[in-house]
Amino acid sequence: MRAIGADVCVVGAGAGGAVAAAELAEGGAEVVVLEQGPWHDPDTFTARPVEMMARLYREGGQALTVGAPPILLPLGRGLGGTTLVNSGTCFRTPSRVLERWRGEYGLEELTPEALDPCFARVEEALSVAEVTPELAGGNAAVARRGARALGWSHGYLRRNARGCVGSGVCAFGCPTSAKQHVGITYVPRARAAGARILTGADVRKVLVDGGRASGVRARSDDGSSLEVRAPTVIVAAGTIHSPLLLRASRLGGESGQLGRNLSLHPATAAFARMEEIVDMARGVPQSFYVDEFAAEGVMFEGVAGPPSYAAMSLPLSGERHAQAMADYRRLAQFGLMVSDSSRGSVHALGGRPLIRYDLAEEDVRRFRLGLARMRELLLAAGAREVYLPLPSGVEPELARGRDLKLMAFHPLGSARAHARAGHGVVDGRLQVHGVSGLHVADGSVVPSSLGVNPQLTIMALATRLAYDLLERPCPS
Amino acid sequence: MSDALARFIASGPWPQRAGLSLLVALARRPRGARLLALFPAAEQLAGGLVAMERFEEPALAGALGWDAEAVVARGRELRRREGRP
Repeated sequence: MRAIGADVCVVGAGAGGAVAAAELAEGGAEVVVLEQGPWHDPDTFTARPVEMMARLYREGGQALTVGAPPILLPLGRGLGGTTLVNSGTCFRTPSRVLERWRGEYGLEELTPEALDPCFARVEEALSVAEVTPELAGGNAAVARRGARALGWSHGYLRRNARGCVGSGVCAFGCPTSAKQHVGITYVPRARAAGARILTGADVRKVLVDGGRASGVRARSDDGSSLEVRAPTVIVAAGTIHSPLLLRASRLGGESGQLGRNLSLHPATAAFARMEEIVDMARGVPQSFYVDEFAAEGVMFEGVAGPPSYAAMSLPLSGERHAQAMADYRRLAQFGLMVSDSSRGSVHALGGRPLIRYDLAEEDVRRFRLGLARMRELLLAAGAREVYLPLPSGVEPELARGRDLKLMAFHPLGSARAHARAGHGVVDGRLQVHGVSGLHVADGSVVPSSLGVNPQLTIMALATRLAYDLLERPCPS
Repeated sequence: MSDALARFIASGPWPQRAGLSLLVALARRPRGARLLALFPAAEQLAGGLVAMERFEEPALAGALGWDAEAVVARGRELRRREGRP
């Protein structure tokens, strides 16, 4: 067995792990990062969804929850984690959510003032800026027209992109490396500061000695064993896999909350056939939002892709599908995401995660509202026909949970933060209750649904953790 | 089935691999398609998979204004010219 020593071992190089690793390494710590997936060379990206999903996504992006209804849960795999395949949308944690965390979860330290420098630091590192109307694409123009006609609140999204030319395939590997995912931003920074980044390293166990973290044990792609000895371990394997690693290590389970409280931001999308040429894949796929119903837990955000992607996503079959695809250039698509009150759980079964999640009636009501309003938006924009993701003949107002065709991109909460050890897995400093030196820094610590895309929240929390460990304030 | 679709299905979790392969096989045969028509959700999924494969063909995608080769070539050129990762 190969053994390596370090000050800090980080498990996972996604939104949380890569950020924490870079900040710690630049702060002078000796860091080892173990990432289960590979480095994906942009030279091998093909802009073909079918090919790229098999390569960039965990289980080809086909993981499904078990429950009513089943929900597709695509997650990235490799250096960059899901930031490699997300749409790049950046929101700070809404202040009403932070207020709730303080009130309900006792996370007094997570004030907007405390997190502001962390957010600012991440935004600068990732070149976060608002999408320009020129790059926003035809899809955004459709939604903007509808929102303006209805007087609904809307705007261009902020994204982590630099030099974007609107290739239209953010979710299938950015061919221009314009999207500033952490695999091409924080990971190189960590490496330049001396961190060792090992890919193909599947961490099987976190080691603890006398109530204190002492390292991890992993298996490499070549079958060999590897042990990293470190007094500080940061688990950042993602919301689905972090609780499984902790459970396999018999850690973090005392509260009974490990693997529970899973929120997903379930989402769906509608298509519209427009009069004008939309060419949805030209421009930034997720460039525009409509937040008129955010207070009711419904957020609209753009979504788009090349013809093969549209062919798979269109909620039609047979001749109607063929007719709509023949008019692909006139198709617009827009997504809706629900800030869910449903909660699921993550368990291990036969070596892979079993994700249980049933959509609560309250969230079904949010989808009914969202789909009805989505149709209104698209019709107000001038749609000739709207294709809702519902079975034929089912109106949004009467949709049942099982009628919904859902995906989810933002799993959160399976190792939630709570000030009290009996109610959460980690404390406000993201340290596992009762195990000094063991921290979690990914979406699993986020204790409630955010209502907005979570990557910036995860990165800001990881930044704060890194500066906590370095025992210095985050530079403002 | 194209190599790309076969790899896509093979990359999925095991319980789904067999199911998706079966759906694609049914969708490609007239009798299978008639059977699928009895189950709208399965028909939509099967039809979507077959169409997804078909619309990755450059000629068909090109007719709809999408040129993956050009997108990739522009990306490579930009990365080379501007020293992007």
